[in-house]
Amino acid sequence: MHLLQNIDFLQAPEFGEKMITLMAAFVLVLQIAMVGQRSLIMNIRVFGTQSFLLAGIAAAIAWYNHAPHIYIAAVMTVLIKAILVPILLERLVDRVDIRHEIEPIVNTPLSIVISGGLTLVAYTVAESFYHPEAGPASLGHNTLAVAISVFLIGFFMMINRRKALSQVLALLTLENGIFLAAICLTYGMPLIVELGIFFDVLVAVLVLGILVYQIRETFDSMDVSKLRRLRG
Amino acid sequence: MGGLIAYLAGAVAGLAGLGAPRRPHRQARSRVEKSLCHWAFGLALAGALLEAAAAAAAIGQPAAATWSLPFGVPFFSWTVRLNALSAYFNLALGVLSAAVSIYSLGYVRGMEGRRNAGVLGFFYNILLLSLTLVFTAANAFFFLVAWEVMALSAYCLVSFEHEKEETRRAGIVFLIMSHAGTGLLLIAFLMLGQAGGTLDFAAWHHLASRLPAWEQGTVFVLFLLGFGVKAGIIPLHVWLPAAHPVAPSNISALMSGIVIKTGIYGMALVFFDFFAIPPMWAGMVVLGVGVVSALLGVLYALMEHDLKRLLAYHSIENIGIILIGFGAALVFRALGHPALAAIALIAGLYHTMNHAIFKGLLFLGAGSVLHATHTRNMEEMGGLIRRMPVTALCFLVGSIAISGLPPLNGFVSEWLTYQALLGGFGSTQKLARVVFPIAGALLALTAALAAACFVKAFGISFLALPRSEKAAEARETALSMRIGMGILAAGCVALGLGATWFLPIFDPITEQTMGGRFSAMLIAGNGFVLSAGTPRGGTVSTAEIAAMLVLLTALPGLFWLVWGRSSRRAAGPTWDCGLPGLTADNQYTATGFSKPIRMIFSALYRPRREIQAEYEVSPYYPTAIHFESEIEPTFEKRVYDPFLEWLLRVSRRLRAVQAGSIHAYLAYIFLALIALLLFGVRG
Repeated sequence: MHLLQNIDFLQAPEFGEKMITLMAAFVLVLQIAMVGQRSLIMNIRVFGTQSFLLAGIAAAIAWYNHAPHIYIAAVMTVLIKAILVPILLERLVDRVDIRHEIEPIVNTPLSIVISGGLTLVAYTVAESFYHPEAGPASLGHNTLAVAISVFLIGFFMMINRRKALSQVLALLTLENGIFLAAICLTYGMPLIVELGIFFDVLVAVLVLGILVYQIRETFDSMDVSKLRRLRG
Repeated sequence: MGGLIAYLAGAVAGLAGLGAPRRPHRQARSRVEKSLCHWAFGLALAGALLEAAAAAAAIGQPAAATWSLPFGVPFFSWTVRLNALSAYFNLALGVLSAAVSIYSLGYVRGMEGRRNAGVLGFFYNILLLSLTLVFTAANAFFFLVAWEVMALSAYCLVSFEHEKEETRRAGIVFLIMSHAGTGLLLIAFLMLGQAGGTLDFAAWHHLASRLPAWEQGTVFVLFLLGFGVKAGIIPLHVWLPAAHPVAPSNISALMSGIVIKTGIYGMALVFFDFFAIPPMWAGMVVLGVGVVSALLGVLYALMEHDLKRLLAYHSIENIGIILIGFGAALVFRALGHPALAAIALIAGLYHTMNHAIFKGLLFLGAGSVLHATHTRNMEEMGGLIRRMPVTALCFLVGSIAISGLPPLNGFVSEWLTYQALLGGFGSTQKLARVVFPIAGALLALTAALAAACFVKAFGISFLALPRSEKAAEARETALSMRIGMGILAAGCVALGLGATWFLPIFDPITEQTMGGRFSAMLIAGNGFVLSAGTPRGGTVSTAEIAAMLVLLTALPGLFWLVWGRSSRRAAGPTWDCGLPGLTADNQYTATGFSKPIRMIFSALYRPRREIQAEYEVSPYYPTAIHFESEIEPTFEKRVYDPFLEWLLRVSRRLRAVQAGSIHAYLAYIFLALIALLLFGVRG
């Protein structure tokens, strides 16, 4: 720590802002990559990388705003989202023994165009939160726009995918978007809230894993369109 | 403040009965159950008494006492207040629930071993608590919470005998209609909340009158319908004759006595507190609703042979009479006659109290009869006056009171209503000059029909010979049940004879709502005479009528003493038309009694009857006759059935949206989200 504090350019808020924006941009790129990527395993790994970058953003915010409790959130993100959840999901993929291809409803090129459109929507929305007069502590609206785009694209992926497992993945990226929005708007929520969210994600993955397995057992497929038969 | 603490203690005492329902084993529990059950109703009684005392103490206080819990979220404070109006309704609640609690002690004994009376005790206490909160809540959200707790606990009580199909159906109808009403109330409250910037009732004083005209109208109609469902105005009444009869009788007494009065309380709050002076048409609408409910209520009651359903229809009638008072008060305010408005309001409120007491009494009486004969069908009763004299006497008192006959309480409030309407005859406004005489005439018709109906109800059930085995074997009910009825019967007499002493209770209410004290002008002749307070109005004295009645009853005795002692007395059998001996079959039936009215109003009833005679030799000597007669349930058939059909049709069409596909549902949410986001950015 002391060593880091002696490096000059690391102290400059302008540098921090650029770093954060850069990482946020990568988060968005990875999100769009996930839309285009058809392999399930690759998707899971992209999600892991995205979560890792997210932890980086959280750590940077903690550093520049001197909010030590966000470090805990960053560490938790790495442990749970970047390591534990991808491992769990990959094991699930092995266990249910499915084709490792994602079959989207809308074809891939069109999906990417739609994702671009959603990013535009997100920028329009984020614009209204941008107050330049708020001073240098404001992270700028780029990060928020990225957060909203990640959220919207995640949501779109959920709609666009047939298999329950790929929908779980989409839900997790959606959650990443919410996390990013939360830390860049509030510079870290109370720790207890964040712990709660992490616990939530973990439980969601476990429950959805079981659900996926059961759907597979019952319907001999993971295609949630088959759940249509359940309606009254 | 002291009154409020006492009342809260009462509510807590009522809640302590909560421990009653949890006992696992059937055999071992009966003793525990019995004592816990007694505790539940005993505590309810204590709570009711405390509450009545607190209300009576608070009613004279000039300023409203408020009390609120220290925690709460914005817009939602747990505030209760006890002003004159809420104290008055609490008084009615306290008096009625005290009598009903005593009655219940004996009533639940009949359920021992068969049913879990502890559950009854639990929901009974919850209902009383929520009723108290409804009458005192001073925040719209808090009011709605209490309102819903009341509806749910009432639902649980109505469906207490849930093994019967009829009961389950009645409960569901009640629940659905009640929630629909709450939905309307919610919209109205939110509209007022948006206008006032707060949900506290204290800040809503005369708020509605500051809204633009069309919003005033909307709020008014929403409140009228929302509270009207609970009050049971026609055409929103259909839950009432279904739910009241199937509930246990002590619950019916509460439902009819006070639960439907929450609708009246709400209307009083809205019409006279939230609105400064509602528009003229609003008063006319209330008056019209009142007249229609009163008349149709009594007409349907006349056709009923189910004692409790008959009473339920009379609840609709009496709600109508109360609303006639309220409607007249609104019209008079709009016309600028504060004194007449005050008389009309007092009449309506007085009738609220009276109806709580005599209808409570009648339902308790019907409960005793049901308890003894195990039937609600009047055609199977008869001759009960010999077997259950105390019950019969109490039921008679209630019948006289509800028929509006002097000198009991129903007469006083109906008389005041007439006086108010008569005051409107001289109105200068054209429409009012037509409307008031018509309303008065229809009210008179209603009262006469009600009297006819109770001649039937009392005569067929209690007089003459028993019409069935069950009626012949009936026994007088338990002491506590008789005490419960006795208290209410005494209340009927006291509120009738002591009307002039009771009237000053309305002074704080009229002061709060109309800004003046008016009871003094209604009292004349050293406090024994009621006067209409207007130059052309009449005067009447219930105390003198009662004294006359006593004297006139003594008169025949006097004649006998003077002239009759020497005369010969002859006793012989009743003429039996030459048939061999009189049996119960020779008696007037309830169906027969109401036949003339069924014929006169056949356009409304659309009666259908079917007669099948079996004979061997000639049709003039039938061996068996099968007679069936029913009237058309007009509102169910003409209003509700088409509406339900329409609803189902629309729902079927809407089901296309509900495709059962997760992707479609997600897409709905997604599109809604994006639309809202963009909307938020623009706005």
